[in-house]
Amino acid sequence: MKIQNGYLDLFKAAMADFKRSKIRTFLTSLGIMIGVLSVVLLIALGLGLKNYLAQQFESLGANLIIIFPGNISSSEEGGGLGNFGAGFAGGANFDEKDYTNLTRIQEADYVVPLFMKSSVIESEGERKLGYLMGSSEDSFKILNLEILEGEFFTKGDVLGRAKKAVLGESLATNLYEAPQDAVGKTIRVSDQRFKVMGVYKKKGDREQDNAAVVPYRTTFGTLNPDETFFTIYLGTRDEGDIEVVKEKAKEILLKRYETDDFTVTEQSELLSTINQIFNIVNGVLIAIGSISLLVGGIGIMNIMYATVTERTKEVGIRRAVGATERDILSQFLAEAVLLSVFGGLLGLILASFIVLGVRQFFPASINLLAVLISLFVSSGIGIFFGVFPARRAAKLPPIEAIRYE
Amino acid sequence: MIKLQNVCKSYFLGDTEVKAVCDINLEIKDKEFIGILGSSGSGKSTLMYLIGLLEHPTSGKIFLDGNDVSKLTDSELSKIRNKTVGFVFQSFNLINKYTVFENVLLPTKYAREILDFNVRERVEELLKKFGIWDRRDFFPNKISGGQQQRVAIVRALMMKPKIIMADEPTGNLDSKTGDEILNILESLNKDFGVTVILVTHEKEVAARTKREIYIRDGKIVKKYL
Repeated sequence: MKIQNGYLDLFKAAMADFKRSKIRTFLTSLGIMIGVLSVVLLIALGLGLKNYLAQQFESLGANLIIIFPGNISSSEEGGGLGNFGAGFAGGANFDEKDYTNLTRIQEADYVVPLFMKSSVIESEGERKLGYLMGSSEDSFKILNLEILEGEFFTKGDVLGRAKKAVLGESLATNLYEAPQDAVGKTIRVSDQRFKVMGVYKKKGDREQDNAAVVPYRTTFGTLNPDETFFTIYLGTRDEGDIEVVKEKAKEILLKRYETDDFTVTEQSELLSTINQIFNIVNGVLIAIGSISLLVGGIGIMNIMYATVTERTKEVGIRRAVGATERDILSQFLAEAVLLSVFGGLLGLILASFIVLGVRQFFPASINLLAVLISLFVSSGIGIFFGVFPARRAAKLPPIEAIRYE
Repeated sequence: MIKLQNVCKSYFLGDTEVKAVCDINLEIKDKEFIGILGSSGSGKSTLMYLIGLLEHPTSGKIFLDGNDVSKLTDSELSKIRNKTVGFVFQSFNLINKYTVFENVLLPTKYAREILDFNVRERVEELLKKFGIWDRRDFFPNKISGGQQQRVAIVRALMMKPKIIMADEPTGNLDSKTGDEILNILESLNKDFGVTVILVTHEKEVAARTKREIYIRDGKIVKKYL
């Protein structure tokens, strides 16, 4: 024998009603579905991008100091994130003289300049989009690259402007099928030809894996007419030297540039800046996505009010046979919550499929948190937007309800 | 069993107070078969809903088995309605999206205590008794009015109530079918000892009961005019 109104009974009653009006149920849930879909997708894409960038920086070696044009420093002169764009837009143009000056810092074990641009790389009739990186022999050490086939170029190659290149595994595979076949072949970038000396292993970093690394001096001329660098890396063996190296690097650069023209930062600092930016961006994206959740919730409320009116007589009958106000409230609330959770689940499933599809070219990922949040939020919306119509149903005077036609 | 003491019920239509019933003093004894006769708008339905605990009186007191029930909360009243009172209406008031079987089951969903009978067995017994067992999986709009009213009676009997309240139970039926329903109500009273309160505007229908109460303009009167 049963005690009144178990949750199972409520669930069954609600499902029976949904079955009778499938289209309406589906359309009502659709609003929540779209809301959950957009929020989960935005979280997935935002987190994916953030993790991707973080991973890229982590794949650089430890004890790494990075110097680049523009100023993103948040501690100095309150510029903060506001100046971040400058890092990409303008600031100092580092040249070989800066590089040479920086090599004079005793505590710095490596100093590596980096010039980079995306280029079409041709070989044996194949044309692939990749990246041309001009750097020094130490770049292989500082970027933790491992040789797969052949060898890296040397200091002599840099000084002698040798026309030699070392390819990333992905680029080599794209050009020659088997990366081992690349060694000894010739690649062409713009009007320059380079002999492939070696191939390094994949790191999971799209740019690095698709790069042709050549001695930086060789790029001077047609490939890098301004003879500038995008970034200069400094590496120390001893973690304790990082601060000293940073200070000295700043001192050196200040002789030629203004404070705002460049940034000297280290891997961990840069990482936290990126995290900061992405937390804001993600917050804004989620807020925008939440608007559709809100609209979906209002849709549920609307339908629930209509349902209450439509079922006024049923409410009266139930009251006559002994239903309390509370019983009626639970019944309608259960329906609203189920509608909402149903929509939420649909949205989640759809979002998972989209993420799976997008994953091949974008690092999106769904985590447990997104799943829990979407289920919590959708049931919360069901309760919030369901409670007003449900209260109206519960408060209907039984006699008027039963006479309602 | 049921006693009404100076009971009044008024409604507000806008700002004007409308007295539906007033100064009602009435005692209904256990196992009575009583008819409440009145024309439409006389307040007889309001009186029935007051006795059936679907409404609170505006003033006065209602006693059920000696207990004052006029000030009870919604949940207490609902519990009593569920256990003690069964309603039968003019327009049957079955839930059209539920089958006959599900409709009859409805009161048991709101039982507050463990039932002393097997629900399915009782449904089967009652539906068979009233000759509608073969209609159990039909929806109400697929069976005749007489059958619908029998379903409503079975629903009213499900929880073994002491009182059945019938509001114009024959109003939507032809005279032959109406007669059958009246026979059923009569036998509930005679053979099963259920108190039956029959509300009607038809003299002939009220004449089937053992005691008649006349109501006019919200008051009990001695003679029906």
